[in-house]
Amino acid sequence: MVQFTQEMKEGLRVPGKGGSLVYLCTSSRDGKPNIAAMRFVATYMDDKILIADMFLLKTKANIKENPNVAVTICHPLEEGRWWVFRGKAVDIEYGFPRDFDWYGANATDILDEWGDWNRSEPPDEVPPDIVFPKAVQRGIVVVHVESGYSIEPGHTGEDLFGGRA
Amino acid sequence: MAVNLTDRMKAWIETMGCYLCVATREGVPLVTLGRYARATADDEVAFALAEDEARLIEPVLVQNPRVAFGVSRQGGIRAAYQFKGTGELLRSGEVFDAIAARAKEERGIDAGAVLLVRLSELYCTKPGYEAGLRLDGMPPDDLVAWESRRWKDVPRKKA
Repeated sequence: MVQFTQEMKEGLRVPGKGGSLVYLCTSSRDGKPNIAAMRFVATYMDDKILIADMFLLKTKANIKENPNVAVTICHPLEEGRWWVFRGKAVDIEYGFPRDFDWYGANATDILDEWGDWNRSEPPDEVPPDIVFPKAVQRGIVVVHVESGYSIEPGHTGEDLFGGRA
Repeated sequence: MAVNLTDRMKAWIETMGCYLCVATREGVPLVTLGRYARATADDEVAFALAEDEARLIEPVLVQNPRVAFGVSRQGGIRAAYQFKGTGELLRSGEVFDAIAARAKEERGIDAGAVLLVRLSELYCTKPGYEAGLRLDGMPPDDLVAWESRRWKDVPRKKA
């Protein structure tokens, strides 16, 4: 059973609050992988990762046809955050039924709290030459984490949660 | 389409290393670190993998050679690219010997395998209107000019 540690919860926040830039890895249904960096990240309950849907293209298409994803810490790398989280994702977009449920996560609760993420946690730490000119949020990717493994050198593949990796 | 890595792309890849994403034929993704990387051609990158890193992705690569990777650390946002191609896991031969020796000498990595990725797709991942823009096929000089209008920073070489 997955239960995030306090360290994981602190790492899975926006970089400006001591969190991390993460990579969201997806795949088409027939196995073509995709990897994209994400800045708006948070945890929800003890086993869910939230990521803003702002500029998702292939990631979004992949999730719509195949919910299997992996999330890993891109930066900072060498602070003990050697984690890869694996699970099933949905992109809760505006217009979803308000009572939609994803493994216990309710669409209304998620959209009410994180639906205007750029305003609530603006990218103040992002340098001006790479910050996006206008953030348009279309939804929130909710990852229900089912397992995880380490990518710490020498320990790659080791289970993070005492179950299957 | 043809991929032509710029000198800046190569510098970010080689200095920071990369996150390597593979997937089963059924679409289950896996990711591992490529801590030591060298561009072996304008459309080819070799990663030295320790045995535990190679062992994680080897069963998947055997059935599905497709690989996607992005740059590690601040390269995830400063080197806003996604690289895609096909990977071959080498455990012997000229390329393995050369990359493994350099990885040991420069980073102290004991390589159990070398993942050689032959690139076929290149995408911009800069957040905003250019996110997802496909860059392979752009003539090399045009690509350098396109990139230099947006970024000029090159990461410092690690000691």
